[in-house]
Amino acid sequence: MTAESVAVDLEVLRYRPGEGSRLENFSVQVAKGTKVLDALDAIWATLDHSLMFRRACHHSSCGACAMRINGRERLACVTQVAEAAEEHQPIRVEPLHNLPVVGDLVVDVAGFFARMTASDLVITRSAEPELPVSVDPLPASLSLRQVVVPEDLDRFIRFESCIECGICVSVCPSMAADDGFLGPAALAGIHRTREATGDATESAHLLALADGDGGVWRCHSSFECTASCPQAVDPAGRIMSLRGQILARRWGRMWGR
Amino acid sequence: MKVAEEAAPGLRRPSRWLDLRGRHEGAWAYALNRLTAIGLIAYLYVHLGVLSLLAHGPSTWNSFLATTKAPFFTALDAVVLLGVLFHSLNGIRVVLTGVGVAVRWHRLLFRSLMALAAILFLVAGLLWSIRG
Repeated sequence: MTAESVAVDLEVLRYRPGEGSRLENFSVQVAKGTKVLDALDAIWATLDHSLMFRRACHHSSCGACAMRINGRERLACVTQVAEAAEEHQPIRVEPLHNLPVVGDLVVDVAGFFARMTASDLVITRSAEPELPVSVDPLPASLSLRQVVVPEDLDRFIRFESCIECGICVSVCPSMAADDGFLGPAALAGIHRTREATGDATESAHLLALADGDGGVWRCHSSFECTASCPQAVDPAGRIMSLRGQILARRWGRMWGR
Repeated sequence: MKVAEEAAPGLRRPSRWLDLRGRHEGAWAYALNRLTAIGLIAYLYVHLGVLSLLAHGPSTWNSFLATTKAPFFTALDAVVLLGVLFHSLNGIRVVLTGVGVAVRWHRLLFRSLMALAAILFLVAGLLWSIRG
């Protein structure tokens, strides 16, 4: 190891079906400035090839490495080892809550994605939405093109930001108490799809889904999903917005509109 | 540790929503709202049971009232009052945010309502001490 490496102690929850669970301590040398995911990689490479964890992009785009680090749901690929070690020694690493554990830090996300596709419309789409961005050519002297950014671009950024990491499901107390709840990610997806679609039938179907069993009314306004989302999707805000739309529809129906 | 087993399909485990490590105000409010709801329902049944003593005549009732002068019962009253204040004021937060009011300021709303709960509790304590 170089002079820039540091020793890191981790306490990892180990689990295999039928064998129960236990916390196992590891100490590894990692480079300064490294992330928790790199430390798990180092454990896997140098100490224990049986350690199960999920990873892919290493830059917070895929959501695969979502886990509980020192009791808080985070993406291990962007969580600094030094910061986590300051919070708690050894760094405690556990799988996400509210999803069945396959082994060690790997959770079964099948139920998560089943909720996301419950409407046959949510998340999955046949074509990318068209952003209202116009591209105007600059004078020939410049090689760049001027992009006119619409004022409401934030809306689209939020729509497309969900990386489906499952953190919102893990932090949601309503999910913990009620497995019939569609959950924050699926409801945020319903909201996003509803705003993106121009089809009135599809829009009404999505609103009915949000209003139905397992929909927005099972949310108990903890706002943990919004507070923990690594991509600022604001699922709780989406759920409250859906509630407002449902109430508006009911109000309209009361007056025959 | 039983963390992994608890994550298996049966999700209705209080250990999940009561695990408040790293959580924010909302999860605390959720857990306390459930606990106070259970407590207040239990109190309702105790209260009805106590009222049934009236059917046993004035002496039984007066004897019971004398018992309630003990500090233990005063402490119980304080706990019930705290439960009522928290549950009702947090309920206002849930209703308001649930219909789209103050969604972006839900934390400030929660803190303000809890401050109001604390003030009301202190006022109740002051009135209690004045009236004996």
